[in-house]
Amino acid sequence: MASDIRITAEPVDAQRCKFLVDRPVYQGVRRFADRGEAAGSPLAEALFALPGVQELIVSGNLITVVKESPEAWQVAGKAVGAAIRQALSADAPPIADRPPATGAARVSDDELYERVSDLFEQQVNPMVARHGGRVELIDVQESIVMLRMSGGCQGCGMASVTLRQGIEGMLNQYLPEVKGIVDITDHTSGTNPYFASAKK
Amino acid sequence: MEAARRLQIDLIVASEQPSTFEQARPEGLVTLDFGRIDWSVQRARRVAASYPFQATLGLDDDTVVLATAIENALGRGRNPLEAVVAARDKHLQRTRLAGGSVQVPRYGVHTIGEHVDAVAASLSYPCVVKPVRLSASRGVIRADNPTQLLEAIIRVGAILKSTDDAGECADATLEYLVEEFVPGYEVALEGLLVGGELHVLALFDKPDPLDGPFFEESIYVTPSRHPVSEQTALIECARQAAAALGLREGPIHAELRFNEQGAWLIELAARPIGGRCSAVLRFGDGTISLEEIVLRHALGMSLPSLERERNAAAVMMIPVPGAGVLEEFTGVDDAKRVPGVEDVVITAHRGETLVPWPEGSRYPGFIFARGQTPEEVEHAVREAHHGLRFVLRPASP
Repeated sequence: MASDIRITAEPVDAQRCKFLVDRPVYQGVRRFADRGEAAGSPLAEALFALPGVQELIVSGNLITVVKESPEAWQVAGKAVGAAIRQALSADAPPIADRPPATGAARVSDDELYERVSDLFEQQVNPMVARHGGRVELIDVQESIVMLRMSGGCQGCGMASVTLRQGIEGMLNQYLPEVKGIVDITDHTSGTNPYFASAKK
Repeated sequence: MEAARRLQIDLIVASEQPSTFEQARPEGLVTLDFGRIDWSVQRARRVAASYPFQATLGLDDDTVVLATAIENALGRGRNPLEAVVAARDKHLQRTRLAGGSVQVPRYGVHTIGEHVDAVAASLSYPCVVKPVRLSASRGVIRADNPTQLLEAIIRVGAILKSTDDAGECADATLEYLVEEFVPGYEVALEGLLVGGELHVLALFDKPDPLDGPFFEESIYVTPSRHPVSEQTALIECARQAAAALGLREGPIHAELRFNEQGAWLIELAARPIGGRCSAVLRFGDGTISLEEIVLRHALGMSLPSLERERNAAAVMMIPVPGAGVLEEFTGVDDAKRVPGVEDVVITAHRGETLVPWPEGSRYPGFIFARGQTPEEVEHAVREAHHGLRFVLRPASP
């Protein structure tokens, strides 16, 4: 039943919110950059039908929704939750596998994946390891890098600094073809963050 | 950082502990020692020579002093350093304001280890013991008689001596104030000084009485429901206090009380409200954050509307549920479903040792609500909190 599906919303900012579902949504990672890409994926179609939704990233049981409307997540989140419940209650797979991309685009993302992976293993991870952290490259789709933090980085009070000033800065420096970076970490589940979060 | 991204501003983030990326990204990360102002100013000068920056912003009590010192050293200070230092130091602040037009509690300053039996016998009660340099009401204790006062001083002494945060006790100060307890209701004022003029960004009611014995914060609700004449007096008190301290530019956060004698200044800080709590404030059409306003002001950019959105808003700093190690918490999903609740953020992590006030200073999380009326949002955060459960186990000795 749809009402049995538990969803936790974790707003990142006014535009971006992560929805953690209590069951797998999609094995792997898929990013939908616009409504056109949603065709064939009932969950993505339902979410793009909501006003202001601009982008989706589905990874395991985590759905990141990006919207352009100023509407608070308190309001928008309820419609997102209802759409997720409805799509997951249907028989059809909520997310279809990515269709084969054009040769040029596929090569580009695949190549980028390899380069980002090398950068992470050779430079990023040795750095964050000093604070007991690790950064895992989940996927690269349309030049957007999706990553997950763990260990000392997960839930760390400085995670956003590490992400923006550290990792994103290095990607800009070494791989300027990367268009963006998305952190799909569930920071609320971190059990050993290197720095505590803010007092107030 | 999100506000900077929205404004497309490049940041250099300064922290006391080095980021592991600092060597790789010196243009974006720097380590400073918040307790060593001169050393850090020199370090900032060197950074500015290689990577020029336009403004320095401090976001808490310690860093705002350092940020002002850096800006002054670079010849573009907008506040006198002594004004910001006075806002940081409770004793200096009381000294600056005493005898002026701002009503502040009568106080005396003492040092841990000093014999205070005679003082205890001569005071009027209730009074409040307050460390000069700690923040977030840490170590603030009410005493109703000489015995309680002596017990409070012993407790505060232990807190000060155990403080391992060099930033909080940079001068190894063991000073504390003993001041009269001011009865009445308390509010918090969030403001922005522009050319010496105070723009009120929000006046928060604190509906839970803060009568001690400890002074952990709880709920902030805005707009205020107190009579307009009293709000006006409170705002005027904050304005005069900022002027008396010599502050002219930037954010301020003031704690004030009101009783039959009028408005009292309890404390004024030259910084914005704490990082998490600031999410309760939105401006203009509801998309402008406090951080965006503070950044714009610091950089001399045009300021958007300083008018808070039309909605009422509340934040609850979730009370520490007890002393111990957090094993589990439940009820967050249900709390988020309470009408009006916008977000519930548990910032404590499983395995973290929770320490109640007055020794502690860290809330386990925050509840945010937005709605039509102050009553509605206050009710929402209370109801959401009612359903939260924290499971603790005793901390190892």
